[in-house]
Amino acid sequence: MSDTTGPKMVTLTIEGRTAVVPEGTSIIEAAKTVGVLIPHYCYHPGLPVAGVCRMCLVDVERFPKLAPACATTVMEGQVVHVHTEKAREARTGVLEFLLINHPLDCPVCDQAGECELQDYTFQEGRAESRYEEPKRFNPVEDFGGDVMYVPNRCILCTRCVRFMGEVAEDPVLNVSERGDRAFIGKAEGHDLTNVWAGNVVDLCPVGALLSKDFLNKARAWELDRSASICTGCSQGCNITVETRDNTVVRLKPRSNPAVNEYFMCEVGRLDYRWINRRDRLDQPQVRGDGGVLHVADWEAALDAAAAALRGRRVHVLASANASNEALFLAGELMRTSGGRGVFRVALGDEAPLPGVPDLSLRAERAANGTGARVLGYETLSTTPTIAADDAVLVLDDSLEGDVPDALLEAIARGAVIVHVGTTLPARIAPLLQVALPITNHTEEEGTFTNLRGRVQRFLQSRTAPGLARPSWYVLADLTERVGVTSGFGTPAEVFTAISSVHPAFSELTYAQLALRGLPILDATARGLDAPTTAGVA
Amino acid sequence: MTYGPSAGQLVRPPEHHHETPYVPVFTGERREQLDTILSRYPTKMAALLPALWMVQDVHGWVSEQAVEEVAQVLELSPAYVKGVLSFYTMYHQHPVGKHFIQVCTTTPCNVCGAEDVVQAFLDATGCGELGVTSTDGRFTVIEVECLGACGFATPIMINDEFIESVTPERAARIVAERD
Repeated sequence: MSDTTGPKMVTLTIEGRTAVVPEGTSIIEAAKTVGVLIPHYCYHPGLPVAGVCRMCLVDVERFPKLAPACATTVMEGQVVHVHTEKAREARTGVLEFLLINHPLDCPVCDQAGECELQDYTFQEGRAESRYEEPKRFNPVEDFGGDVMYVPNRCILCTRCVRFMGEVAEDPVLNVSERGDRAFIGKAEGHDLTNVWAGNVVDLCPVGALLSKDFLNKARAWELDRSASICTGCSQGCNITVETRDNTVVRLKPRSNPAVNEYFMCEVGRLDYRWINRRDRLDQPQVRGDGGVLHVADWEAALDAAAAALRGRRVHVLASANASNEALFLAGELMRTSGGRGVFRVALGDEAPLPGVPDLSLRAERAANGTGARVLGYETLSTTPTIAADDAVLVLDDSLEGDVPDALLEAIARGAVIVHVGTTLPARIAPLLQVALPITNHTEEEGTFTNLRGRVQRFLQSRTAPGLARPSWYVLADLTERVGVTSGFGTPAEVFTAISSVHPAFSELTYAQLALRGLPILDATARGLDAPTTAGVA
Repeated sequence: MTYGPSAGQLVRPPEHHHETPYVPVFTGERREQLDTILSRYPTKMAALLPALWMVQDVHGWVSEQAVEEVAQVLELSPAYVKGVLSFYTMYHQHPVGKHFIQVCTTTPCNVCGAEDVVQAFLDATGCGELGVTSTDGRFTVIEVECLGACGFATPIMINDEFIESVTPERAARIVAERD
């Protein structure tokens, strides 16, 4: 946004730093721009402002009393102090009240280590409690879905109530009763089964709303975190993959205003167990002279695969969860030989999040269907013509469900099959020539293209099983041996090749994608843009 | 769910309560009455408190089914209605006795012997304890904050009826007069 067309800018001072922000910005957001975090509970940038927790009170010069930073908009020349005696004292008081009925059970609480009540109490709270009376006690309640409510830990910030009411537009939560007896209530007979309801667990600043799936699995400080992309559908929600001892224990949404704001759905969030599966293909295998599949080293296996593919027309049956890099390299095999590329993708019901424009659980339940289409693959609707002397490269298609008849017929006619996959599907094991083990998306890095044509990077979060290698690495090696590519040493180099060959990617570089991605050049021309509201009406 | 009994819930859930089929409140004349109330406000939400009063007048308390009905009539979520209902202590979330007796025990009345009046009501009605409905379902007795008749201690309310200068002896007579 340039100064000539953008909103009017306001200059103010926060903790001695100069912030220049658009008119109408709240003090709490303005402070973020200059690296000042104002303590807060009820405020969340993805929710309507409530101003109920009184934690973000700051000292504004020439204001008669402290102002809530979340509900006070900036003014020209304003001078804001966060850490004056007066403001600190107010927040210490708020914390003391919040802790009156809090059980202080951090040692057994899942939120410990990522709890804002813990953090701010450590920063600004009293060292000791003065409260000697008995604490209020309410029992734990199952809210349905993946959500559990521990009312004793609740500070009544109402983030969950506002999310369900204003963002998910499924208002099943309320604040029940009042005063020190108040708790988060749920309408009788209405569970948190909304596909977006799990976000209340992320939004909860304390340990009051917990994920039943993650309950007692790990402490927050034991987890390793990597930036990734959800593979649950073609929306491409930005996520953090959290692992403990190389095992994925939970997925969390990662903020990206262009894709998923702060949210992700339950379908994506809870579908991670397959990532940890133990029955992986973890050694290269080659069919020997006697027709028996045996373990081989990488050199022998790659040579055998290259020999099987060289000089033949290569068709590719790809997974819609393969990266752009893998799809591009496999695509070079089919492009240079005149073969076809197809992919299968599971479909489901759409489930939009009403409060966020263009955020939905998409019908196409794979991450990279759009990438596959842009890179020249087709959805498997028409039967590909596969000749007896053709080769088929299966790129991590599980071959479960409806296996295309044409593929089965081709196999029956004797087409050579090379399998590059994370697993060895039982249906194809007896038929393939060479099986090359690759890593899944949490064990390698690469890019996906979401349904709006946004190219987004995912990073490695786990180590590869056995001898498995990253898909781009295996396919770069294989295509070089076949003689259709050469010299790829990193996924970034593969991406550079994609952008030099495919016009859609021409303006993009791997480094520029950073952690929030960029749209491909001709997204509009390809009809990938979000439908306008006018179009709907 | 509600977490009772807590300090804020004056009335305890009855031990024996016969579930009867829910009779909708907002039909016929009462629907017209509600429409009149609605005509005074810019939004339907604004009529929530009067609507809940109407429910309580008809049924004596506000059940989950009533919450659903009010929510539907006023185009609100049941959760919102429940939140408002539970905020105010004068709406009953459990069935109460046919005669709901509220005895003032705030300071001036207390000084003038309100505790004895409360005990007299508990004995005469057979309720035994505050907030407990008598086994015949006729009475519930609770303490209430100032009824604004400090010069006429002890005032009580039986449903909408206001009675001043109640003594323990008079309490027994008042109970005996009720059906």
